[in-house]
Amino acid sequence: MNMHDTEDMPPDVDYDEDEPSFSDPEDFVDDIDDEELLGDLLREKPQEADGIDSVIVVDNVPQVGPERLEKLKNVIHKIFSKFGKITNEFYPEGPDGSTKGYIFLEYGAPTQALDAVKNADGYKLDKQHTFRVNVFTDFDKYMNICDEWETPEKQPFKDFGNMRHWMEDPDCRDQYSVIYESGERTAIFNNDPKDPIVAEERARWTETYVRWSPKGTYLATFHQRGIALWGGEKFKQIQRFSHQGVSLIDFSPCERYVVTFSPLMDTKEDPQAIIIWDILTGQKKRGFHCESSAHWPIFKLWFSFYNYFRRYPLSKTHSLLQSMGLLDKKSLKISGIKDFSWSPGDNIIAFWVPEDKDIPARVTLMQLPSRQEIRVRNLFNVVDCKLHWQRQGDYLCVKVDRTPKGTQGVVTNFEIFRMREKQVPVDVVEMKGDPESKNAFAWEPNGSKFAVLHGESPRINASFYHVKNNGKIELIKMFDKQQANSIFWSPQGQFMVLAGLRSMNGALAFVDTSDCTMMNIAEHYMASDVEWDPTGRYVVTSVSWWSHKVDNAYWLWTFQGRLLQKNNKDRFCQLLWRPRPPTLLPLDAIKAIKKDLKKYSKIFEQKDRLSQSKASKELVDKRRSMMEDYRRYREAALLQHQEQKAARLELRGGVDTDELDSNIDDWEEETIEFFINEEIIPLGE
Amino acid sequence: MKPILLQGHERSITQIKYNREGDLLFTVAKDTVANVWYSVNGERLGTYNGHTGAVWCVDCDCILNPRKTLEPCRPWLCKQLAMLNTSSAVRTCGFDFSGNIIMFSTDKQMGYQCYLNYFDLRDPQQIEDNQPYLTVPCAESKITSAVWGPLGEFVIAGHENGEINQFSAKSGEILKKVKEHSKQINDIQTSVDLTMVITASKDCSSKLFDSTTLDHIKTFKTERPVNSAAISPIMDHVVMGGGQEAMEVTTTSTRIGKFEARFFHAAYEEEFGRVKGHFGPINCVAFHPDGKSYSSGGEDGYTRIHYFDPQYFDFELEA
Repeated sequence: MNMHDTEDMPPDVDYDEDEPSFSDPEDFVDDIDDEELLGDLLREKPQEADGIDSVIVVDNVPQVGPERLEKLKNVIHKIFSKFGKITNEFYPEGPDGSTKGYIFLEYGAPTQALDAVKNADGYKLDKQHTFRVNVFTDFDKYMNICDEWETPEKQPFKDFGNMRHWMEDPDCRDQYSVIYESGERTAIFNNDPKDPIVAEERARWTETYVRWSPKGTYLATFHQRGIALWGGEKFKQIQRFSHQGVSLIDFSPCERYVVTFSPLMDTKEDPQAIIIWDILTGQKKRGFHCESSAHWPIFKLWFSFYNYFRRYPLSKTHSLLQSMGLLDKKSLKISGIKDFSWSPGDNIIAFWVPEDKDIPARVTLMQLPSRQEIRVRNLFNVVDCKLHWQRQGDYLCVKVDRTPKGTQGVVTNFEIFRMREKQVPVDVVEMKGDPESKNAFAWEPNGSKFAVLHGESPRINASFYHVKNNGKIELIKMFDKQQANSIFWSPQGQFMVLAGLRSMNGALAFVDTSDCTMMNIAEHYMASDVEWDPTGRYVVTSVSWWSHKVDNAYWLWTFQGRLLQKNNKDRFCQLLWRPRPPTLLPLDAIKAIKKDLKKYSKIFEQKDRLSQSKASKELVDKRRSMMEDYRRYREAALLQHQEQKAARLELRGGVDTDELDSNIDDWEEETIEFFINEEIIPLGE
Repeated sequence: MKPILLQGHERSITQIKYNREGDLLFTVAKDTVANVWYSVNGERLGTYNGHTGAVWCVDCDCILNPRKTLEPCRPWLCKQLAMLNTSSAVRTCGFDFSGNIIMFSTDKQMGYQCYLNYFDLRDPQQIEDNQPYLTVPCAESKITSAVWGPLGEFVIAGHENGEINQFSAKSGEILKKVKEHSKQINDIQTSVDLTMVITASKDCSSKLFDSTTLDHIKTFKTERPVNSAAISPIMDHVVMGGGQEAMEVTTTSTRIGKFEARFFHAAYEEEFGRVKGHFGPINCVAFHPDGKSYSSGGEDGYTRIHYFDPQYFDFELEA
């Protein structure tokens, strides 16, 4: 029963009785001093100030006459006893005998009062009356506010410089962060195909690892006491958030908020396990409990325009919040929900509820804030579901594991929802074979293809499908006997890398999905991670010290699979590309550039060739100077050697042994025959 | 190039050495035997038996005949010349330029310190009494590898902490001292004219020094600990062999024959070639004195002799 339900309920018969009166009979006169009688008790007499913290003031209470006062009191009791025992109540009456419209309630403890304020404030009794509840002491506080307005001290403007500085690199080099020396050093490099160029390098910049914000503006580092955000040209510290023992963070897509999670701090009154911060002001916005630490990101989605986020405790309910307040002041409760996922493109949430007796399992797409269910799909005999959204939110794939009636085994279907079409049609692709080993699924970003890895090692197959407009899902190509357990699409689509990480020894296959050809097959032994750069030009494969203690390095490849660099870093741990903010160019400008691509590519090629020859010239010059130095040294050494010849002759009893052929006369010639080969030649008859 | 595979040891090879003319190759291993082979075709000439423990080092003196070889505490002369007992294992040994004085260092083991001992073979008294004419203690860090200097005046020793010291052969005092490496020095070898030495260290690099001044001339970097390095007699090349310690071998790629010998250009410090073929880390490399071939001995117990293709001699890095 939630608050809504009490709106039209009849008043209850039983309610709290008033406390019995302990006063003396009226004509009693005592001659004993109070002090004598109850000296010790009097000392414990509650002071006027004591009980005030437990008192709340409820405003906007209906003004009723004495005849309806009882009923009103019952309703109030019903509503407010939820927060604790009401020890006292006062309904001030106006001159005409009806209540003034505000009441005082006292609870047993201040926490109960606070609870009442939190939950009852804004409670809609009926159309005309919405309760406003405040703690009594607040009145004092607000009354005592100084009349003089003191302008808050002006904080000097902290100029962090151009926050987008790295985007202005004339050679369009992307940046990436590298953690190495097992976390002791963190460096930011500019990615140059010849050699990475250090942009910034600091020791102990972070204590565990780093994260970039979604548009690349900030770098977040982790410390025992909280996180710090860095940015700008010199990577100055922008903001600091204190959260003891922070272990996980997540940014909102618009980079306005960051949420931090720490398993350590959590008290009942002041939930501190999860905190949402405003990045620009540094303020703590809200705190939450964390019921289970297993599920992160607990705040699934941050949406750029509306600042939605949603909390996902393991229990069945969710709260939807908008701009830091509860959306419509109501939680969205869906009982039995197993999993949900926001569309990356729109304000749509997809969730699924498993079977419940007669009701089949359902996948629902709901739009927010309207809470309208756009699409519902019933599924039968479902074992498990997984939701995969395409990067732009154009498609949703629900991987459904089912046990069809009458069979024992489990089959897998992919239900593809086409979001951009009216009524969101759904198509089904059946996957044959053992679903237990459906290893990976990935949508093409910017496109309408997806790739699936299925099968058991060593016979893992990679299948590529294309979702066509007319609803047909076509299997484009299937590669079999692949050594792969993960799929990495280029962020621009079309190209991808099939990787067999960790246990599969780092097998890599570079695929062009426009015609499904394998561009290159290579290997980075014991690779643990694959990262595409944000433009889709380069791929980095790395062996992290966290997973493998030797050979820690990261290798740079082109998107076609050509190896460019091998960078060994002592105890290399992690490499993360710096994300790029979305392009500022409008669509037609992009189209215009694509048309003129030939013109641009000529200029770039020339530039590349120049820099190549410059590189080789530098190398050649360096080698020349090294050789010269070396020659000079050798000549000096040889001179010394010559000078010592006499000494040498003496040491060896006059035999010159400087050259191998210095003593030809002393040589003996010996002919030795030894066995080389045996050949049996049959003689013809 | 097609290598000649020498199979004569049951355990890992600890050192290989050519004689002065290069027609013989001596190999010693942890299986207590020392073998000698013809380097031209890999045919085994013979075996020296008699040691009771792993043989760590071998050296061959340079007089044309007779040939003497030295292994931990036994100078042989085709048959055993002498046996010098020591209290702990002998790690390195070597004949000086004249072939008359031998030096060897003993390990820091079982309460015994590390000592550098000098014997004069011309003095039969020393051998009989088992008394070296000079003993130099090394308290701080034990000697892991050592070679004689150009004229037999000093011994250049590499230590466990990465230091390199020059010990005088007459007085035993330290003439020069450098610390360029950060970890143990696994091997030191000289150039054929004894003017340069190359060190191989566990810190994954190899460095070239001048023998007399101990000036650091060049550095060659890799990603694996280097077990041995050698200087080519005729080209500006050095070869390095290495790999992980036996304990960690299973964590690297064990694809067949993955352990490689690496060739670096001595002046440019750049790697220009690798030779695969060993099944385990390479423990020792040596160039043939004429520079036309080289050999490598590995943890797998095999020694491989490689004769270079003609392209090797023509190869030049762009400069």
